[in-house]
Amino acid sequence: MSAALLEVRDLRVELKRGKQQLTALDGISFAIAPGEVLGVVGESGAGKSLTGAAIIDLLVPPLKRTGGEIVLSGRHLDALSREDMRKVRGRRIGFIAQDPMTSLNPVLTIGQQLVDTIVTHLPVSKEEARQRAVRWIARVGLSDPARRLDQYPHQLSGGMRQRVVIALALCAEPELVIADEPTTALDVSVQAHVLQVLRDLHEETGVAVMLITHDLGVIAKMADRVAVLYAGRVAEIGPTSEVLRTPRHPYTSGLMRATVAPGLDRKALDPIPGSMPNLSSIPPGCAFNPRCARATAECRSQRPPLVDYRDGAGKHACFHPLEDGR
Amino acid sequence: MLAYASGRLVQTVLVLVIISFIGFLLVSNLGDPLASLLTADSTAADRAAMIKALHLDEPITTRFLSFFGGLLQGDFGISYRSHEPVAKLIAERLPATVELALASLFITLLVAVPAGVHCGVHPRSALAKAIMFGSIAGVTLPNFVVGIALIGIFSVKLGWLPSFGRGQVVDLGFWRTGLLTASGLKAIILPAIALSTFQVALVIRLIRTQLMEVGLSDHVRFARARGLTDNRIWYVYALRNTLLPVVTMLGLQLGNIIAFSVVTENVFAWPGLGSLFLQSIQAADMPVISIYLILIGAMFMVINLFVELSYPLIDPRVLRRKA
Repeated sequence: MSAALLEVRDLRVELKRGKQQLTALDGISFAIAPGEVLGVVGESGAGKSLTGAAIIDLLVPPLKRTGGEIVLSGRHLDALSREDMRKVRGRRIGFIAQDPMTSLNPVLTIGQQLVDTIVTHLPVSKEEARQRAVRWIARVGLSDPARRLDQYPHQLSGGMRQRVVIALALCAEPELVIADEPTTALDVSVQAHVLQVLRDLHEETGVAVMLITHDLGVIAKMADRVAVLYAGRVAEIGPTSEVLRTPRHPYTSGLMRATVAPGLDRKALDPIPGSMPNLSSIPPGCAFNPRCARATAECRSQRPPLVDYRDGAGKHACFHPLEDGR
Repeated sequence: MLAYASGRLVQTVLVLVIISFIGFLLVSNLGDPLASLLTADSTAADRAAMIKALHLDEPITTRFLSFFGGLLQGDFGISYRSHEPVAKLIAERLPATVELALASLFITLLVAVPAGVHCGVHPRSALAKAIMFGSIAGVTLPNFVVGIALIGIFSVKLGWLPSFGRGQVVDLGFWRTGLLTASGLKAIILPAIALSTFQVALVIRLIRTQLMEVGLSDHVRFARARGLTDNRIWYVYALRNTLLPVVTMLGLQLGNIIAFSVVTENVFAWPGLGSLFLQSIQAADMPVISIYLILIGAMFMVINLFVELSYPLIDPRVLRRKA
C-alpha cells in the first residue's frame, strides 16, 4: 500500500465533555489509491463526517485530533503548520460540503467565490481565473455559464448550488476530494444528476474521491471500495462488490438487510435491533456486541483487531465473521 | 433596484413633510413672537404691521404652506433672539458640527472594525479580553467625562492639543472648514475622540457578536475547506455578512452625533449646532429651535435613506425580500 494517495493510520479524535474525555474516532485506518473512489458508510454518528473533517483539519472544538497519522503522497499532514495545512485544503484535498443551501456565501457572487479559490491556490491572473471559473461552471453542467458567474447563490436552485459547490471543491485541481454526504440535502430526482456530475468529473480529471454517505445505493453505484464505520471504528473495509455481496461483519450485513431497496417486499426489511451507543457509553470489547446475534464472551471483553481476509483485498474487525454473507 | 430606491425616496419625503408640520406647530403655538420681536415702546400700529408681516392673521393651512414653501427656498424665518435670519445662524454653525461628526465616524471605523474583527475571530485571546473590558468603559463613561479626561491629559498635562475651539478655518464660500489647516486638524482630534468612544465600543461589540455567529456558519467552514486565507475569510467572506446591522447602527449613530453632540460641544467650546441649540432653548427662540429640529429630522432621514439604499449593495437578497 505504499502507492496510496492518502493513508490514514490509527486516527483518534476525542472531545472533552465536562470532565469526561470521550473518544469520537477510535483508531480509524484506511487508504485511498490515486483515482480511486472510497465509499464511507455508517449510521448517523458513526464518525463518517468527522473522519473527513479530521483529515483536512476542520474539526470544530471541542473535537480534537489526539493521535494517528495522515499521509498524503508521502507527506505527513498531521505534522503541518496551520498555514501549510491551509495550502493543502482546496489545492491538494478538495471538500464538497453537505448542504448547498448554506454552504455558499450569500453575499458574494458565484464568480467571486470561484475566482477567489482559484487565485488562492494557482499562479494565474484574475482574468485567467475568471475564464477557468466559466469552464468549471460549464463542466458541472450549468447552462449559460458566463452569466452564472454574476449571479448570487439565492438565484440558483438547490441542485444548481450543489453543482457550484462541486465546482468550488475541484477548481484548484486537487488529487483527492472528500464528498461529505453530497446528496443528502437534495431531492431524490436531483441526487442522481449531482452524482452523475461527480462521477463524470472523477473520470475526466482522475481525482480520487472519499465519498461519505449513509446510502448504500450510492455506494453501490459510485464506489470502488467501501469502508463501514461503526461507533468511531472501522468495522469492515474492502472492494464494494465483495463487501456488499458477501459482508463479513455482522454490522455490514445488518445494514444491508435494513436498507430499503426497490423490488424487495415489506418482510425483507429487517432493522438492526437497538441503536448505536452514545460516545459516553461505548461497551467494552467490540462496540457492536450488544446488538449482535453472534456475540460471545470474547466479543464483550476484547476489541477485535482489523484483520485481512482474502489475501488482504479486504479487512474486517470481527471474531466471528460471516462466511457467506448471512 | 429602481422600484426599491424610489419607494425609499417617497417614504423619506413623506416623513420630511410630517416633521416640517410638527416644527411649524411648535413655532405657531409656543411662545409669543410679538412679545419677542416688538420693543417696549412700539405702538398698536407697529403691532398690526408686525402681525401682517408675519402673516399671523391668516388661517393655519395657509401659514403652513407659506412656511413650508419658505423651507424649500431656504427661508427659515427670523430668530426671536438675535433678529437674524435662522438660515444664516445655522449655516454658520452647521459645518463645525458636521465635520466633528464625520471625524468621529472616521475614528470609529478606523478603530472599531479591526478591533471588532479581532474580538470576533479570537474571542478568547488576551487582547480580545482587554478590548472587551475597555469597551465596557467606553459604553458606560459619559462623553463629557471622557472629554474632560482627554483635556486633562493631552491639553493640560502634555500640552499637545488645544482644549477648545475649532482652530483656524478656511472659507470655501459655501462651507467653512477647519480640516484644511494644521490648527483646525489639531483642534478636532480631542472632541472627535471624545464623541467616538461610545460608538467605538458599540461597534466593536456588534461586530464581535455578529462575527462569532457567522464564524460558525456553513459557508465560512466551506471557505476554510477551500483553503482561503484567514484574512480573506474574515474580512471579506464573514465581515460582508455582518454589515447590514453594522451599517444600520452607524447610520443611526451618525444622526445621533450630529443631533446630540451638545454636551461634547460644550466641553470643548466647539462652535457647532449644539451650542446654538442650547442658547436658543434658554432664550425660548422658537424659530431656531423648530428649524433645528426639522433639520436634524431631515438629516436622520437622509442618512437613513443612504443606509437603506446601501442594503442591496451589501446583501443582494434584500431586493428579493421586498419584491
